[in-house]
Amino acid sequence: MPRRSRRPRTTLLLLVLAAVTIITLDARGGFHVVTSGVRSVASDAFSPVRSGVNAVVEPIGSFLAGSIHYGAVREQNQKLQAEIDQLKMQSAESADQAEALRQLSALLHLGYLNNLQSVPAEVTDFGTSDFAATIDINVGRSDGVQLSMPVVGNGGLVGQVVKVSHHTATVRLITDGQSAVGTRYGPPPGSLAVVNGTGPDKPLSADLVPSNTPLTNGEVFVTSGLQGALFPQGIPVARVVSSHTGDTASQESVSLVPESDLNHLRYVSVVLWGPTG
Amino acid sequence: MTRGEVARLSLVVFIFVVVQETVMLDIRIGGVHPDIMVLLPIVAGIIGGPARGATFGFATGLVSDLFLPTPFGLSALVGCLLGFGVGLATIALDRTAWWLAPLAALGGSALYEVTYGALGSILGQPQMLHVALVRIVVVVSVTNAVLAIPALRLVSWGMADASTEGMPTSDAGVGAAR
Repeated sequence: MPRRSRRPRTTLLLLVLAAVTIITLDARGGFHVVTSGVRSVASDAFSPVRSGVNAVVEPIGSFLAGSIHYGAVREQNQKLQAEIDQLKMQSAESADQAEALRQLSALLHLGYLNNLQSVPAEVTDFGTSDFAATIDINVGRSDGVQLSMPVVGNGGLVGQVVKVSHHTATVRLITDGQSAVGTRYGPPPGSLAVVNGTGPDKPLSADLVPSNTPLTNGEVFVTSGLQGALFPQGIPVARVVSSHTGDTASQESVSLVPESDLNHLRYVSVVLWGPTG
Repeated sequence: MTRGEVARLSLVVFIFVVVQETVMLDIRIGGVHPDIMVLLPIVAGIIGGPARGATFGFATGLVSDLFLPTPFGLSALVGCLLGFGVGLATIALDRTAWWLAPLAALGGSALYEVTYGALGSILGQPQMLHVALVRIVVVVSVTNAVLAIPALRLVSWGMADASTEGMPTSDAGVGAAR
C-alpha cells in the first residue's frame, strides 16, 4: 500500500491558520485599518477597469439582444415591433426620468437633517455580495465621506458607510442583519428602542419595546441621537406594520418597514456627521 | 512554481475578477448574482490536487475579499478548504472525464456557499445565515456548473508548467480540459 504524503494536509493546516489569523486580526481593530486601506486601494485601482469594461460590454450586449430580437420576426412585424418598442422605451424613459427627478427633488428637501451638511450620491450597484444588504455609491473620501457616516434617502435613513475609497463608498442598509439603529418612538420625549435588520427584503424588528406598549400601525421610529449614537437625532427610520405581545413575552414583537424605499434607490445623501463623544 | 506560471495564473485571476465585478454583478437571477470566483479553487483542485487547490483557493479568496463587504479572510478560508476538498475528492477519479468539472463545480459551489454562510455566522456575522441561502446555492452552483469547462481550460493553461499530485501535468491539464 503506498504511503500517503502529509504535505497537502500540512499546507492546508498552514493556510487555515493564516486565514483564521487574518480574520481575527481584522475583527479586532488595529489590523482592520490595514485591510480597510488595502480594500480601498483595490477599489480605487479597479474602478477605471470596471468603467472601461462596462463601457465595452454594455453596447455589445445591447447589440446582440437587438440582433436576436429583430432576426426573429418578419419585415412587417419588425416595423411594428420597432414602433412598439420605441413607444415603450419612451414611456419607460419618461417614467424613469420622473422617478429620478422625484428622488432628486426629495433629497433637496430633507427637513429632518436640519442644518447638517450632506453630499448627494448616485447608487451605482446593489451589493457585491449575496450575503449582505449593501449598496455602492459614487462618492468617497474626496467628497468628504468617511467611515460610519449616516446615509439618508427620500423618506428617511438608508444605512451607514462601511467602506470608503477615494471616489466610491459602500453603504450597509438598515435591512442588513448586522444593522442596529438606536431609535425613539411614542410621544415626546419618546421611549427608546433598537431597530434591527433581519436580512434583505425582510421586515425590520424592534428590541426593548415593553410588552403591552400601545403601538399603532404607521407609527414612525426616529433615530434617538443619544450621546455616542451612530446617527444624528430625528431621522425617520421605519414605520410599524404590526405588533403583538406573546403570552409570556416581556417585549412587544414589532415588525417595521423602512421609511425609505430601499428597493428602488437611485440617489441618496451622505450626511457629513460623525458620532459624538 | 515558475515565473511564467505565476504570470499566467495572475492573468487568469485578473480576468475572473474583471468578469465577476462587471458582467456577473449586472446579472441578477432571483435577486442573486453568480459568483465565478468560486470556480477557481474547484478547477485548481481538479488540475493540481489538494495542496495546489488549497493554495490557489487561499490566494484567490484573498483577492475576492478585497471586493466584498464580508469579513476579510473568510473567502480565503473557505477557498482553501474547498480547493483541498475538491483535490482530495477527485484524486482517485478519472480526471479526463468531461463531466468531472461541471459536477465538481455544482457540488463544490453549493458546499462553498453553505460553508461561507455558516462560518460567517460563527465568526460574528449571524445575518449571513438569514439570507436566501437556498436561492444563492442554486444560482451559484448551476451557473458555475455551466461555466466549469471554460474555467478549467483557462486554469489548465495557467498551471501548464506545474506537476500535479498523482498524475503528470500533461494528462491533468489536457485531459481535464478536454
